[in-house]
Amino acid sequence: MAATPARTPAEQALAARYPAERTSLPGTADVIAIRDAAFGGIEKTGLPHRRVEDWKYTDLRARLKTFPPAAGPADVARVLIARPAMEGDKARRLVVANGRYRPELSDLENLEDGLAVFSLAKALEAGDAAVLAALKLDEATAANTAVALNTAFMTDGLVITVADGAVVERPVEIVHIAEGEPAASTAVRHLVTVGRGAKLTLIETVESLDTVAHHSNIMTVIEAGEEADVDHIRLQLEPDEAVSMTTLVARIGRQATFDTFNAALGAGLARAQVFAEFVGRDAEAGFRGITMLSGRRHADTTLSLIHGAENCRSRELYKAVIDDEARSAFAGRIAVPAFAQKTDARMMTASLLLSEEAEAYAKPELEIFADDVQCGHGATCGAINEDLLFYLLSRGIAKAEAESMLILAFLGEAIDEIQDQAVHDALIHRVEAWLKTRASARKAGEPAA
Amino acid sequence: MLEIKNLHAKIGDREILKGLDLTVRPGEVHAIMGPNGAGKSTLSYILAGKDDYEVTEGEVLLNGESILDLEPNERSVAGLFLAFQYPIEIPGVATMTFLKAALNAHRKARGEAELTTPEFMKRVKTVAEKLNISSEMLKRPVNVGFSGGEKKRAEIMQMALLQPSICILDETDSGLDIDALKVVAEGVNALRSPDRAFVVITHYQRLLDHIVPDIVHVLSDGRIVRTGGPELALDLEKNGYAAYVADAAA
Repeated sequence: MAATPARTPAEQALAARYPAERTSLPGTADVIAIRDAAFGGIEKTGLPHRRVEDWKYTDLRARLKTFPPAAGPADVARVLIARPAMEGDKARRLVVANGRYRPELSDLENLEDGLAVFSLAKALEAGDAAVLAALKLDEATAANTAVALNTAFMTDGLVITVADGAVVERPVEIVHIAEGEPAASTAVRHLVTVGRGAKLTLIETVESLDTVAHHSNIMTVIEAGEEADVDHIRLQLEPDEAVSMTTLVARIGRQATFDTFNAALGAGLARAQVFAEFVGRDAEAGFRGITMLSGRRHADTTLSLIHGAENCRSRELYKAVIDDEARSAFAGRIAVPAFAQKTDARMMTASLLLSEEAEAYAKPELEIFADDVQCGHGATCGAINEDLLFYLLSRGIAKAEAESMLILAFLGEAIDEIQDQAVHDALIHRVEAWLKTRASARKAGEPAA
Repeated sequence: MLEIKNLHAKIGDREILKGLDLTVRPGEVHAIMGPNGAGKSTLSYILAGKDDYEVTEGEVLLNGESILDLEPNERSVAGLFLAFQYPIEIPGVATMTFLKAALNAHRKARGEAELTTPEFMKRVKTVAEKLNISSEMLKRPVNVGFSGGEKKRAEIMQMALLQPSICILDETDSGLDIDALKVVAEGVNALRSPDRAFVVITHYQRLLDHIVPDIVHVLSDGRIVRTGGPELALDLEKNGYAAYVADAAA
């Protein structure tokens, strides 16, 4: 008989928090029932550890030292000063501060025809039937620990709908900001519905004004209707102290085009999950991302894609750059049911190790039951190519700069797939800043911070 | 300008250079010829600073200073340039970004300010045109999708931009048809000057019809076994390396 493991401090904190908060969290009795079910699952199993396959590389039980209290309201003035809305901002900015949507900090002027934005908390309070229906998830997704924590503790988020045929040219950017000390937790859920033939570019940035151990848990559910065109990009920029969990759930309709890109540039412990499914035939999707790690940071990208319709095409490309004693993990799984003939899927992950102590783990999986498909996967892992480096050095370029050029080239293959030019350039700028920090640390003969 | 004294080098346990001596003065063009496996490419890589090789004895002086302890980039800014036998493709690094980084590294080493973009573009355009390098080629990543001839022309373009004092050309003629060979040779000849020297490493004599050397050396089994004038190259073309290979083996 296995002994019941003792609860970790994080599990104890969770067990204390939920009963105290459940009735003050937004939502009707129906919502509370959904939260109870989600939390019940966590209570039963505890936090996942390395013997739970989905968390093999990211042992939450060992890595989560605490589970901080819920974040209080953000200091709006401080958020405004730190992240002022800029005249001529290309994207329409919607601010979520400390887990709460702040319309007064958001740009809601001249909403395009067909675009609607409202607060999840209000919809939960009102018992909005469509929103309650959208909280329903398949069993496996609902039971995922990051998802269940989000369901149990979600305080707010955005409900964004784009009506059939509406083409929203201006990108919508959700800015998540954690503000204040001491460390606190936030859980945010966004529900995004893009109607038939509609178009939306959705950018998410996740950041913190304070270098404390905030926990953020952000979940975005996107329903891409038939012939819809959806581009989703997330820039995760939290400080090294932070714990970050993000989940994207996407359902992709017939003949839709869907792209998602995750830039994991921050947080000491980061887990980015994607659960996607093709629900209509002849659709196309791209799943891509980059991870840049230094110090002792740990980042995990977990992708599960169900090619659940005929003649759908997908491309998966994840690249990681790992320095110092950092650790990156990628687990990607593509399932092709027997009826999903003519599926075309290519999954690739590549890791560039910049130090002797850096670690990369890759677990690509294909589960194919159809016989007329083209599916492939690949994983590579290695150091900077010495021949390329020598060529650059032989032209006078200093080593640190030459390495930066090669690292940028390595990541560029993924970054260059980002269609939105402003986001593409902003990300390149971030990557260059990261490389510059590394290069100057190298020059000073110290490990990169 | 370049002095190589009793150079011994090995890769793994295999000794490739076995006491090589060579003195190159400003303005001179030296040709180093030799059979396959004589150590020609090894010599060029060692001069450029590739760390696959271990120098076990001897020294290499550039303008009187030892360069064996310098990093490859330090040797480059000190004035040494290697035109690669097999120029490497670098996907994802734009040619112009690369050229700018290289040129600015040289300027920085000389204590000069970085070039403005228009000034940089002008310089690249000037040297590229002389070598029949199209602006379309310049838009590609470094050497990616270039033909053999284009790669060699791109090497000479880099050389022209960086204005080195000693140029090592490693089998620059390999893979070139006769027209491309002429373009490359003209590019090299245009750079000949009283204060710049060349070491042209080649297997065949034909490159030397276009880049006429002052001095020709035969490298065999890791040593210079004969030195002469341009007529030596013609003799080698006629009679082959057999005599030298036999000598070295003896």
